[in-house]
Amino acid sequence: MVLDCKDVRREISNYLDDDISPEMRAALEAHLAQCKHCTAILDGTHNVLVLIADDRAFPLPAGFSARLHERLRRELESV
Amino acid sequence: MATEQTAQQKNPPSCDTSVEVGLIARVLQGEKDVFYELIRAYEKSVYLTAFSVLQNSGDAEEVAQDAILKAFRHLAEFRGESKFGTWLIKITLNEARMRLRKQHRHMWESIEGQNEEDNSDYVPEEFGDWREIPSEALERKEIREVISNAVAALPEIYREVIVLRDIRQLSVAEAAEVLSVRKEVVKTRLVRARLRLRDLIAPVCTSRGLFSRNPFRRGKRPWS
Repeated sequence: MVLDCKDVRREISNYLDDDISPEMRAALEAHLAQCKHCTAILDGTHNVLVLIADDRAFPLPAGFSARLHERLRRELESV
Repeated sequence: MATEQTAQQKNPPSCDTSVEVGLIARVLQGEKDVFYELIRAYEKSVYLTAFSVLQNSGDAEEVAQDAILKAFRHLAEFRGESKFGTWLIKITLNEARMRLRKQHRHMWESIEGQNEEDNSDYVPEEFGDWREIPSEALERKEIREVISNAVAALPEIYREVIVLRDIRQLSVAEAAEVLSVRKEVVKTRLVRARLRLRDLIAPVCTSRGLFSRNPFRRGKRPWS
């Protein structure tokens, strides 16, 4: 199986998730070994996923838990 | 915006299904205060799910509270066919979508952007190499804003899947259940969403000298 850049872009997400057949993986890695552009896309996408998976990237608003628990407390007391 | 500084763990002990079953049973038997423990692990996921739809902190917080209260009132109806967290996040997504419909804000969303698109015609932009990501980068408010703005710039169907799968790390099957779509649809949306995010975030971070090359290696998941 020989992949072009378009095929690789379609599979990059599954590749990052390790959700890809051995045949597709081999073909994709063969393409990446000789294509700097697709390699840059893969590395960049990987970096972005590392960033957004970090808990610090999307913090809760200050006081969120306290306000939630206060509303819950009122609800729990009323039933 | 001021924020909670204490990061919640994404997989605390109470996320264990058997632990949750026990907690749910205790709540239903009258130990109402145990409900706090049951939902603690999901507070952030609930808020971010609501925010992914509403894009407004105040509305998202209100919907998050409504969804958690709804889960409490309907806890007896939870059959355990899915994880408690999946059930709770699905309630949240539905509440947020209902709120959005009431606000009619969806009319301003790009109709083109909401359609399922063919991934093959999307050509990611070309940027320079990436340096290894310094952990302290996320301590910088400007970097958090770049990331937050990039996610906000995605069409709603892509924001939802990115929040569920890549930010809160649900499995593809769980994300599909929350979104009421097939797993293949989740995967298709992920391809486009991830490439778009990379196009939005990479140039800013690269231009500020944050990254160059950080090669992906097989077996190393992005969030590990």
